[in-house]
Amino acid sequence: MAGQSDPHQSLFSAEEVEFIAEDEMVEIIPNLRMDALNFICGDFGPFFPQIATQVPLWLAVALKKRGKCTIRPPQWMSVEKLTQVLEAERDSQRMFEQLPFHYIEISRLLFDHARDDIPDVYMVRSLIEDIRDVRFHKVETNLETLTERAFALKINNLSAMEVNIVRPFVGRALQAFYKHDSLELIPDQERVSDRRPQVANNATRRHLRR
Amino acid sequence: MAKFYDMDDIITDEEVVSVVFEKAACGVGIDPSSETDSVEVGSKVELPFWLAHELHLRQAVSMNVPTCFDQKTKLEIQADSACVDLRSRCPFFYEFGCKIAPLVGVRTIGPLLLSAFKSRYKEVLTKAHTAAFSAASKHLTILTKEETNLYEAAQSSMTAFKRWRMGGPRFQRASVLGRKRKSTN
Repeated sequence: MAGQSDPHQSLFSAEEVEFIAEDEMVEIIPNLRMDALNFICGDFGPFFPQIATQVPLWLAVALKKRGKCTIRPPQWMSVEKLTQVLEAERDSQRMFEQLPFHYIEISRLLFDHARDDIPDVYMVRSLIEDIRDVRFHKVETNLETLTERAFALKINNLSAMEVNIVRPFVGRALQAFYKHDSLELIPDQERVSDRRPQVANNATRRHLRR
Repeated sequence: MAKFYDMDDIITDEEVVSVVFEKAACGVGIDPSSETDSVEVGSKVELPFWLAHELHLRQAVSMNVPTCFDQKTKLEIQADSACVDLRSRCPFFYEFGCKIAPLVGVRTIGPLLLSAFKSRYKEVLTKAHTAAFSAASKHLTILTKEETNLYEAAQSSMTAFKRWRMGGPRFQRASVLGRKRKSTN
């Protein structure tokens, strides 16, 4: 992380977020027989032909590149589910739909390496792009509600990549608002007496392991 | 003290403030337009902020409101703050205002800063992440340094994301390695 990220912006680069996303488990169907693989993070296998196994995404992509398996796309990545999610996203103004935390990274990795394993790949791809656009637009709309009383911001169900994009901007904006709202600048009688309750900023807390 | 080495802070301190001298000062050539080397009581001089601040602490001067916070600017900001060209007035509008506000007698600078920032923030937000470079360049010229920071933070993270999405090689060969490597034995 030291080489890639910009320390002043406290930003993970997109590649780093993808790297963390590769720890998610997916199901693969091997097409040969292999003994158990022993890694530092755990043991996977043994692999039998046509028997589905759960492995991390990085291992699945590596096996796929060597032609040793086919990857089964995750449950949420079917056309019906994604269409449902897209409809729900378009309907509600402030709520975000429940999607896997790393859905952008997982979908991109699968499109790059396992394109033939996904049914209706073009449809799925365009649906995910639409979902991403709608969600990001909603994030921007929510950010407009930041006022001088906001010390923290809570947005539910935001995914890792979306959080990573807005992180420097939101951090600096909140800092600027806090600075301008300090006590010595504004006399007491001009303050509004009612304060909206503030909640912790869950959106930018990164979960490395769930 | 965290701001001691901050470049923006140092440049902010260079902003000019007009002060009125309460005590006479001898042997200083501050005022270039006067004939003698000394400054009399009640004379109005333009000084950089760092000097005016020190003299204010010694109660040798009293500070007036700088030109960038005067009535004309205030009216413009209240009318339509998103279009006011703050950079030509003072590129460090907000930082300078935060420093000046406790020192000058007028108590309206704080709320003015806050309201200006609030409404301009919305403008910055809508353009920050998504606008193409050509569309935003006109808007960029009127932002202060602080707002430009915000804007650039959002822009850079967005371009990094787009670049990642395009794909491309994940590992790049370091340039110091050269094009071909030959074993040396």
